[in-house]
Amino acid sequence: MIILNLIKRTTFAAQLLNRSIFNNSLYNGIKYCVTRNIHLSQPAHDINEDVNNKLMEFFDVPKNWNENEVKHGRSWNLAELRIKSNSDLHKIWFILLKELNMLKTMEHEYKREWKWWASPERIDKVQDSMKNIETVVRERNQAYHMLESGTDGEQPGQYITNALGLREYKKSVEHIVPYWANKKWREANPRGCHGPDYQKFMRLYREKIYNDKRKGRNRDKNHVIRLLSRFPNLDRNVLKGKYPQINFDTLNKKDLYRGHYVPDVE
Amino acid sequence: MRITTILHAKRHNILEKVGELSKAFGNFPDSYVKRASEQVYWETPKAPQYTKAAIEKRNFRFTTNRPWTSQFRMQNMSNMKRKKVFVEPIENWGFFRGDRVEVLIGKDKGKQGIVNQVVQERNWVMVEGLNCHLRIVGKEKDYPGVVIRSEAPLLVTNQVALVDPTDLQATEVEWRFTEEGEKVRVSKRTGRIIPIPKANEETMDYKGKKLYMTREKDTDVDVAQEISFKPKLCTFEMDIMESMGIEEDRIPKKTFWY
Repeated sequence: MIILNLIKRTTFAAQLLNRSIFNNSLYNGIKYCVTRNIHLSQPAHDINEDVNNKLMEFFDVPKNWNENEVKHGRSWNLAELRIKSNSDLHKIWFILLKELNMLKTMEHEYKREWKWWASPERIDKVQDSMKNIETVVRERNQAYHMLESGTDGEQPGQYITNALGLREYKKSVEHIVPYWANKKWREANPRGCHGPDYQKFMRLYREKIYNDKRKGRNRDKNHVIRLLSRFPNLDRNVLKGKYPQINFDTLNKKDLYRGHYVPDVE
Repeated sequence: MRITTILHAKRHNILEKVGELSKAFGNFPDSYVKRASEQVYWETPKAPQYTKAAIEKRNFRFTTNRPWTSQFRMQNMSNMKRKKVFVEPIENWGFFRGDRVEVLIGKDKGKQGIVNQVVQERNWVMVEGLNCHLRIVGKEKDYPGVVIRSEAPLLVTNQVALVDPTDLQATEVEWRFTEEGEKVRVSKRTGRIIPIPKANEETMDYKGKKLYMTREKDTDVDVAQEISFKPKLCTFEMDIMESMGIEEDRIPKKTFWY
């Protein structure tokens, strides 16, 4: 069913384009785009085939349509991308973008059909590679800006006190007019918070943070006690490294550590 | 709901609980392992006015099924509440696929075998052909089913011991550094190095790194290793514009960042 749908869809698109090439003057823009890439010396049916083939690049190769698993490699890592020139990175980026487009099309189609789509991790691998390319490009640009202007050339930002009175990091945005002349922006982005409501909110918020910390500490302590009662030979140094907040000397005085029995009294 | 509750909500990250060896065996990107194994029932929309909060499953029971599989999901359905499992924390993990180990408990006590699966989340190893039980699979009214022998997991802390390759006897193991700065496992009894086996390299895609078969969309090794980078005093965008013949001579107006 999927295959049929895909073919139907592509042939429909091909028909649309064909019409635009040969008959319909409404599609002049498309005609230009398509004919630029086609050798016009070819006979008409060859052109159709060529357009079909090009459109089929939006989809996975038909061989993979009914597979349970599509074998593939890993993503590009940073070390491999750092040795590539800018134009190479540019090319790899567009190959990856095309692949991502294809994969997302396939995923969408299979979801629509309620079918199992093989190897969904391909999307993650492509996205991982694209993220790595962005990192490398950013590194190179930062090096240039550091040399030329002494700053990294990244989008600036600063810690601000927001409308709730909490500190948060906010990225700055480019404006044509300065801060003091931009009344509209200032009204839309109030900074800082004062008054009794703010005081009450902050008290509750701090209480929340404190309670979360306290509960976390108790949870850890109970977990450690249970671990120790289950595994008496456990290396305590490992636990001390993992839970530095817990005082291990007082743990064995807890009832939980002793367990549900009456100790022997001499 | 109080505003403080939303502000202080913290997302659960299942990746912290998945063992490094499991991840290495799957050979998947972390993002895939995360999205395949987590169970998010509702989350705040991805917009600046929302803090990141979600209703999701937090308590998972790790089993011999890998976290990204559908079997794992079936064993951790939203309506299932199972008793908490206490796992002894281990500082330096010392058991890998392909290791020769001796079983210390059960009916196969004293026998040696090869580790064929490691479940780091539960401190488990499976030893090939040892500590087995029989399972009946596919039993129906008119069909008796098929009997399968499958290995039961063994705890690495006190149920198996590594075997020293020099005298083929069980030994305790210590991690030490060689003079070259390499971290190795050393037998406490004989002081010999126990090398990490080749089978540890095995992933779901290949048996060993050298045995990997190049696929259709893979880049050739020569092409991938070719160094085409040449240092140049320009940004990425300037370089691409130059190669495409785009000239930019407009002078930007002064702008303000805030």
